[in-house]
Amino acid sequence: MKLAYYPGCVAQESGRELDLATRWVCRALDIELVEFPSFSCCGSGFVDEANEVLNVAINVRNLAIAERAGLDLLTICSTCQGMLTLANRRYSDPNVRARVDRALAPLGIAYRGTVQVKHLLRVLVEDVGIPELRAKVRRPLAGVRVGAFYGCHLLRPSDETGGEPGEEPKSFEALLEALGADPVYYRGRVMCCGFPIQFVQPEAASRIAGTQIAAAKDHGADAMATPCPLCHISLDAYQNRAERAVGRSLDMPVFHLPQVVGLALGATASELGLSRHLVSTDPVLAKLAPGARA
Amino acid sequence: MADATVSVPLDVYRYQPAVDHEPRYQRYTLDLAPHTPVLTALLKVRAELDPTLALRYSCRSAICGSCAMQINAKSRLACETPVGPEVASHGRIVVEPMRNQGVVRDLVVDQTPFWRQYARIEPHLKLDPAQPMPADRPNPMTPEEVERFHDTPRCIACAACFSACPAVEADPAFPGPMALAKLYRFVVDPRDHGRQDRLVRIQTEGLWLCLRCHLCTDSCPKNVRPSERIRDLKEMAIRVQGPTERGSRHAVGFKENIRTGGTLHELKLVRQTFGLAGTAGQVGQGLRIWRKKPEIVKRPRPIEGREELESIYAALDEEDGAR
Ligand code: SF4
Ligand code: SF4
Ligand code: FES
Repeated sequence: MKLAYYPGCVAQESGRELDLATRWVCRALDIELVEFPSFSCCGSGFVDEANEVLNVAINVRNLAIAERAGLDLLTICSTCQGMLTLANRRYSDPNVRARVDRALAPLGIAYRGTVQVKHLLRVLVEDVGIPELRAKVRRPLAGVRVGAFYGCHLLRPSDETGGEPGEEPKSFEALLEALGADPVYYRGRVMCCGFPIQFVQPEAASRIAGTQIAAAKDHGADAMATPCPLCHISLDAYQNRAERAVGRSLDMPVFHLPQVVGLALGATASELGLSRHLVSTDPVLAKLAPGARA
Repeated sequence: MADATVSVPLDVYRYQPAVDHEPRYQRYTLDLAPHTPVLTALLKVRAELDPTLALRYSCRSAICGSCAMQINAKSRLACETPVGPEVASHGRIVVEPMRNQGVVRDLVVDQTPFWRQYARIEPHLKLDPAQPMPADRPNPMTPEEVERFHDTPRCIACAACFSACPAVEADPAFPGPMALAKLYRFVVDPRDHGRQDRLVRIQTEGLWLCLRCHLCTDSCPKNVRPSERIRDLKEMAIRVQGPTERGSRHAVGFKENIRTGGTLHELKLVRQTFGLAGTAGQVGQGLRIWRKKPEIVKRPRPIEGREELESIYAALDEEDGAR
């Protein structure tokens, strides 16, 4: 399998461990990642708030880069996934398309609308497939209770994402089961992490993050795992604020999606960049077969 | 031809605040055709098993908006949610009152917070005193003007969106999805004279607390799509007033942040949003993160072809008036 790799901004900077883990997992599963240094930021939903058509245009530019190479696009962030999917959809509206084309045509950029935007979660579950993954597991995450945390833009609006039901997805839990982990079902798994207002109203944002982490904990989760690096910032890097906002200690290790996959496939902690997390993942590693902590 | 029935285990939230110590869930099991609405199931419970169950409903046809509740944790109209798929995916149906509104009894909530937010946006036409509505002839709208409403006029005020909204849950000052969708409806109404004023006011009255989680849009039975109309309001507010609030400064700052390099410069964004003084308050947290993730202070490598991005910005960012 060969895909245009769209890492997104965070995985190239403060969330580098996500990039590291993605590359490790894709190597292990024979997924060839083709890189394009010309990809721009997806706008993260903020550019969409400021200027909808501009947001479509910058993402159509990204899509056109993949189309020229004849590749579908791999995302590793729920928000990138949402924004690129949104661009694909909005661009099919003739009014939007006309305005976008006016900006792109002088640059020689044309887009025929053929690129599928696929999040790593979907590639793992649908293209690699659960049986294949199960067969590759070398260090089952047995006895580890993991709360999946999907990230809004991967799921909703569900009539636009073309994926699973926006309030009742199942794929992440199916994946966790294949890795040997025990998925934890809790309300927060499809809720918001608070990130979009982390800069607007940090107090409310932290309360939202804290509510979801606390729900996972109360349902017995040893760890959480997310396919979105922005959720990861809210849940891990700002967990201290979340604790303050909900008035209790949480101590919840939060993994990026490819990190849990990598652990089960035999990667070491350092190959997955686990030491870069703010909340230690050691309690989880201690539960696993030896070798994980290297 | 009779439909095959399925066994439907209903776990219904029961609570009478003045009497009960705490809420409990009561199990009723019924045999029902899969297409039976949850509301019909509850009415059957009340008629045949337990006359004390309190719930609110009227039309049974997804028109009156009174039967919204949580069905397996989703905020939905009970009269148009069939039991079959719920039982198929959950093995049972957990029925609870809506969230973000206090419980009066069982499934009946006190909708005061919802209606208070609705009143706050002044949901009525504000006519230009110089140009009163003509009394002797209709005041027609063009099809294009009508299209700009999207589906906002279809709202039945069921509050399912309000129940689902995490911003309402986190901050009672947030007007909620329905009130904002309604505000949008007046802002784009060509007869309304309050557009400018409404957009300026809402910037400080909660607009920027929306998380764009789209839970409201997924919950809405009438395709009002509040999250998308809230996005529209944000862009319109920036266009009439510029980035005056922290939320709009963040959106515009982000847009400017990637204009030149094509990729996000995280530290610069903090400065753009909080200003120099505000940034000082973020230093402690920044240091904590920096110790593990030193890249947060680095300037990211610009993308190849960034002049393309500049040119796209030049073509589209200054363009105005279209909305
Ligand atoms: S998108 Fe905004 S208004 Fe809608 S549910 Fe989420 S936070 Fe509430
Ligand atoms: S916007 Fe939709 S969900 Fe919200 S009150 Fe109106 S009809 Fe109900
Ligand atoms: S009973 Fe009227 S909307 Fe359901």
